[in-house]
Amino acid sequence: MNAVVVTGLGVVAPHGDDPHALFAALMRGESAIRPVFPELPKPAAAATVDFDAARWFTKLQLAGVDRVSQLAVAAADLAWRDAALVADAVAPERIGVYAGCGMGGAAALETAYRSNNGRVPPLTIPAFMPNAPASHVAMRQRAQGPVLTYSVACASSSLAIAEAAKAVRNGEVDVAIAGGSESLIVPGVVLAWQAMQTLAHFSPNEAATAVRPFAADRSGFALGEGAAFLIFESEDHARRRGATMHATLAGWGSSCDATHLTKPDVEGQARALRQALKSAGLQPHDVGYCNAHGTATRIGDTVERDALATVWGDALDDLRVSSTKALHGHLLGGAGALEAVITVMALREQRLPPNAHCAAIDPACALNLVHESGAQASQLRAAISSSFAFGGTNSVLLFTR
Amino acid sequence: MSSLKELQDLIQEKYGIPSSELDPNASMREKGLDSLALAEFIFEIEDKFGIEVPDDNPNIDTLAELAALVDKVRAAKVA
Repeated sequence: MNAVVVTGLGVVAPHGDDPHALFAALMRGESAIRPVFPELPKPAAAATVDFDAARWFTKLQLAGVDRVSQLAVAAADLAWRDAALVADAVAPERIGVYAGCGMGGAAALETAYRSNNGRVPPLTIPAFMPNAPASHVAMRQRAQGPVLTYSVACASSSLAIAEAAKAVRNGEVDVAIAGGSESLIVPGVVLAWQAMQTLAHFSPNEAATAVRPFAADRSGFALGEGAAFLIFESEDHARRRGATMHATLAGWGSSCDATHLTKPDVEGQARALRQALKSAGLQPHDVGYCNAHGTATRIGDTVERDALATVWGDALDDLRVSSTKALHGHLLGGAGALEAVITVMALREQRLPPNAHCAAIDPACALNLVHESGAQASQLRAAISSSFAFGGTNSVLLFTR
Repeated sequence: MSSLKELQDLIQEKYGIPSSELDPNASMREKGLDSLALAEFIFEIEDKFGIEVPDDNPNIDTLAELAALVDKVRAAKVA
């Protein structure tokens, strides 16, 4: 079977728009989480992107383009350039876009609602619609094949990547631009997440270390915004054009808990983990690193640990685990793609980013966590990236060198 | 009174297109002001002049035509 390989990486993330610089910042344990919206009744923190739209758009092109689409266009374009795909190298109808987005253009909706004279910008709907990012990416890269949006909460972009890989493997497309974007850092959405009781509490001046995955004193996540896209093609296609192959997407698994809308489930997650291993033809002991979903909620982290323990069994102690959400926040629909890029970088650099801010591990989360300074991993051959969504859908991507 | 100069200034301010680059009698669409951008631009015009441009003018394609329409609506408002 023809392998599906990664030939391009693009990020527009809280740690910048260079995957190498992003990975280096994570290795240094730099948190991008900061206080936001001091006017809100409760303290709020998030990891935002320092984005210069003028690098990607003229003022005219920005008409009706929400920030969530702007970030997507930029990240996908960076991935496209990283893959060194030249114009006309691939027939437009053989290029597909597979984009994850949990919510859509939050800023456009917020602006419409807050307009003080009752006048709503006429392009609010096309700016807000969740499939706008995929369409803008398609227009920018002239992708005329399947252009699809996956809205599966926190697993959106992980699933988008898995679906892209299937399309490449089945020969439906020659090149897939796959990833996701999310940009929800507006007061209305932050208030909604606070009401959900899943965001980390923090004392003044301690926003940066508020997210503590698997720690005894964890209290939830912080929202992050950003976009990440990867270019996928078959190994044959990549070889023919002399492309650099960053990694192979060797397997993927998806499942649904089908038990509860928001409460995670050990067996549901275990099914996705097993399926990823099976589809890659690997055993648990073959996998050296897990970039965990690790949202640092009380229940989420213990369920994830138990799911890993169920599948890994005796091999669990040899699996190094970290949740990088402690540093870049939770990108929700963009999380799976950003964390896929980080997992690919870990394989490439043979180094593991830390599970930051975990001074004392919760005994109920007994895992071989990557400690604060990160770790060398010269034997690393395979790594997984997990994404478990509200709605019960679980997605696991398995990359190999 | 013609609104043309004010519209040209607004286009420059909002979209960064100087009046020298947009012939008032040329197609705005060909300059990238497609139907979506035009909808947003008319919204801005309405805000700026405190008017309501009727939305039954799908054939407007040049800035001169748009200026003539804005003139008409502003004149009606004064009258």
